[in-house]
Amino acid sequence: MAGVTWHYVLKFIITGDAAVGKSSLLVRLTDQRFLANPDPTLGVEFGSKLITIPEEEKVVKLQCWDTAGTESFRSITRSYYRGAAGCLLVYDVCSRQSFSNARTWLKDVRQHADPHLTCILVGNKTDLCSDDAGPAKRNREVKTEEAELWAKQEGLLFVETSARSGENVELAFEQATRDILLKIRNGVFDDDRSPGQSAKTGCCS
Amino acid sequence: MEFFSQTYIAIRGPTGAPQSPLETITKLADRLGPSTLLSDRRASILALKGLAKDPKLRSDVGDYALRGLLDVLENDAEVDPDTAIPVVETLDLLCDPEDDPSMKTLGPKYMDTILENDKAVHKLIVLASQQSFTPRTVTLHLLGVLLKHRKAKTQQYFLTLPTGPAIALAMLDDPREMMRNESLGFWELLIAKNQDIQKLLAFQGAFEKLFNIIETEGGVESRVNAESALTCVDTLLRFNSANQNYFRESTFPATLLSLLQYPPDILPQEPAPQPFALQFWDELKERNAALVVGMIGLLVSSKASKTQATWTAARCLAELALASNAPTRVKAKALSLLPGDFDLPLTQMIITPYIPVPDTNGEEWDRLESSSAFDVLVELILHAEYNGTIAPARRRDPLDLRAAALRVFCNFVNTDEMKEMIVQSMLPQDGSSPVTPLLHCLITSHNAPLDIAAITSTQFASLIFAHLIRGAPRAKSAALKIVPPSGDVTASSEGNFFVPADNSGGAPPPPPPEDEDDPLPLMQILTEHLSLAFISRPRMQVGDAPTRETREWDRIIINYICLLVQWLWDDPKSVRAYLEAGGLTLLVEPIGQPMEASDGLIQSLCAFLLGTCYEFNREPGEITRATIHQIITRLGVDMLTDKIGSVKEDVRFREIEPEAFVLEYPTPKEASVDAEIEGEAEAWFDWAFLDFWKSNYYTAQRAVAAGPNSSATATSSGGSGQGNDQESQMLLSSLREVISNQAHEIQTLQKSVKDSAASSKTKGDEIASLKAQVESLTKQVTEGEEKRKEREKEQEDLLVLLDELSSKRRGDKERMRVAGLEVSEDEDEDEDEDEDEDE
Repeated sequence: MAGVTWHYVLKFIITGDAAVGKSSLLVRLTDQRFLANPDPTLGVEFGSKLITIPEEEKVVKLQCWDTAGTESFRSITRSYYRGAAGCLLVYDVCSRQSFSNARTWLKDVRQHADPHLTCILVGNKTDLCSDDAGPAKRNREVKTEEAELWAKQEGLLFVETSARSGENVELAFEQATRDILLKIRNGVFDDDRSPGQSAKTGCCS
Repeated sequence: MEFFSQTYIAIRGPTGAPQSPLETITKLADRLGPSTLLSDRRASILALKGLAKDPKLRSDVGDYALRGLLDVLENDAEVDPDTAIPVVETLDLLCDPEDDPSMKTLGPKYMDTILENDKAVHKLIVLASQQSFTPRTVTLHLLGVLLKHRKAKTQQYFLTLPTGPAIALAMLDDPREMMRNESLGFWELLIAKNQDIQKLLAFQGAFEKLFNIIETEGGVESRVNAESALTCVDTLLRFNSANQNYFRESTFPATLLSLLQYPPDILPQEPAPQPFALQFWDELKERNAALVVGMIGLLVSSKASKTQATWTAARCLAELALASNAPTRVKAKALSLLPGDFDLPLTQMIITPYIPVPDTNGEEWDRLESSSAFDVLVELILHAEYNGTIAPARRRDPLDLRAAALRVFCNFVNTDEMKEMIVQSMLPQDGSSPVTPLLHCLITSHNAPLDIAAITSTQFASLIFAHLIRGAPRAKSAALKIVPPSGDVTASSEGNFFVPADNSGGAPPPPPPEDEDDPLPLMQILTEHLSLAFISRPRMQVGDAPTRETREWDRIIINYICLLVQWLWDDPKSVRAYLEAGGLTLLVEPIGQPMEASDGLIQSLCAFLLGTCYEFNREPGEITRATIHQIITRLGVDMLTDKIGSVKEDVRFREIEPEAFVLEYPTPKEASVDAEIEGEAEAWFDWAFLDFWKSNYYTAQRAVAAGPNSSATATSSGGSGQGNDQESQMLLSSLREVISNQAHEIQTLQKSVKDSAASSKTKGDEIASLKAQVESLTKQVTEGEEKRKEREKEQEDLLVLLDELSSKRRGDKERMRVAGLEVSEDEDEDEDEDEDEDE
């Protein structure tokens, strides 16, 4: 792996209801393609990606743990929260239900993950309710303003994305990463209880 | 004491009358109810356990007490270890069907009862998390039994227990070796064939813990635990892409390399260290290393991006196989795992092979001169590992290794250019061809009694050569020009000296020419060898069973025929060369022989070769298609067609697989010969030939049925069947048309380019002349301008002069008026002008 250098390795978890597009977001991030008809994730999937935060001049390796949204895996999924520095809490803008359930997911995250973890609320599938969605068009059930307000109340970052078009996907990860780097600079993660970011080295292993 | 009296009373019964075992069991089962005291329940369980040990009573215990036992397990086991142990043991006795054949039907029945819901399994897993030795081992054993016989259900219950993964992982941390051993045994069963459990455990840190065990136990050198830990890692990775992704991201791939003593951060130009190349190997280490190699292969084979780490891993595999003293089986595995599309720069990789010092029992090793991995690979294919000095020529493992090496060779030499280049290197430079190791093995002639090592070398040389020329017309025509030096290259029994694969000086000196014959081209030599082999093969009478020796002759004959048929296919020039070398008559006799006196496979392949000769005999020559057609009609078209088709009936042909063409000796098993050494193996064909035959035999069959004047049906070695041929004909002609169109277009375009170039030249001239014109005009203009300015100035001067004059005149007029002379006032101006004009 010589030649690949990064300054930080950050663990991200992607969580949220089943079929809101968690795996598609991950595949869009890592492979720059759209996962059209994915099978439901079993347990967990894994992907990684190097991103550069230019203003910090830092290369960050994102290790993304894409968790299963189905209920039967709920108890298992929780164990993956350990050590995560960032969390993408995903809902489907065309599904009211998935947005309401985001509260439960957030509770889960708060309960099991590091208290300093950076959480970003991600409204996915914006392409489905845009005007040029064609025959598959669905009605938007969660307004941007409403989600934004809730995110603000809960202290979450917020972005709306489309894994199909790729819109804002990298941005979501980048925003969260920036926030984590800020926290690292401020020494939030310095205590040993927070294994949020590992390998703070110019790693070439 | 209490236990004994209780049991006694239970068995004796209240009245002292003799009691049947069934009554006892039902009574004991009743006592398992929650109303009785814990100590009573414990006593009953101990009694039931004792009864369950009796095979005759086991079914009664199971039928009447199982539910009660499960209740106790549910309610008491966790709080009271003294109850837990016997209850689990009793359940184990009821379920484990291994020690008693009568339990084959009962065991599963009781297991199904236990697995009716998830309670029992959950409880057992919780019990297995206890620290004390006995409860954990007995529980793990019972869980193991359930996992073995009711895998899916038990695994499903494991998944529904939230703390399950944590418990399973904690087991691996146990400092007691015995306990780790038990836990690993349980793990192997737990993670088998269940991707969810595999993922779950892997993502919660299973790799860390397993590698921790492997390292603390001493890596691949370790005793039993490392092997199960490695097996677990392998199970977690194999068929599980999520885990592979995760694993690849971690530092463990590097750990895998280090386990083999290969430095994971080695630079491409750095040689591999000696501690990697030379190690002490025993059987256990071999098994462990094979597991590690398997996992490295898994990482290398991934279609993900080829990072530096993947390269290093692939290089590690190649070096392990080509330049180390690893066991043959590990080497073969390493080579077979190098993926086909992984173009390792074999020709640039410099490696240092080793060879054991004779008579040191593999304890001392000589370092050989470094050479390119490609040369070492070819050497390995031709002459076997360590030049065949250690293992007998046809033991299974060395043959497997050579077969794997051949596969790597074929994957590496995969373009027509490379094939042609290698064939070109065998072309004569001054008179005769340089004898490269490949050519040397190819033209070795064999005499009775046969040397098995030598014929195996020839066979592998033919396989390499066949790969070089198969379907490569340019390589074929180059091969026709190969003229090995004259003189007989015989397979001497002591001919096993090490021949460095690079032909720089290491090539065996051509034996002194025995006669001054002109050197013969390769085609002719092969034909002669084939003919010699036919003659040398001991004659069998009808009813004779083939002996070892005849089988080996058959192998040589088949080897030559296979090479020739691939050479001649779709190449009229080669067919001509073969026919001129007298190859036709060779084929006729074996085909005509009675079936019993010869190997049926030889007949079939001869028929295939004859068909090939006939089909592609398209060059003018002495032996025309008509000549061959006569022979074919005499032999019988139907018979030939049948024979060509019957190749596929032969076991030696049928059993070949894409990855494995080394067969057990003898194949088929009912052959009348026995293996001379244990684990003897043999090879007849490789997969490539099988492929070749399958795509072409039909063409050959149709060819023999066609008349002498019919046109060529096959256009390429890949073409099979008429439809295909017509299609490709059409494709060919349409492509030709396209090409000619394009050529025409190119011509036109070139012409127009030329035209425009010419016209642009004239334009350039024009521009130059125009420029010159402009320049001269500008000059004229400036000149005119200057002149004009001069005039203006002159005019000004004149005006000044005029002004002066007129003022003077006015003064004069004044003076004249003063003097009384008549002066006209009005005319002043005019006079001025007049005067002006006058002046």
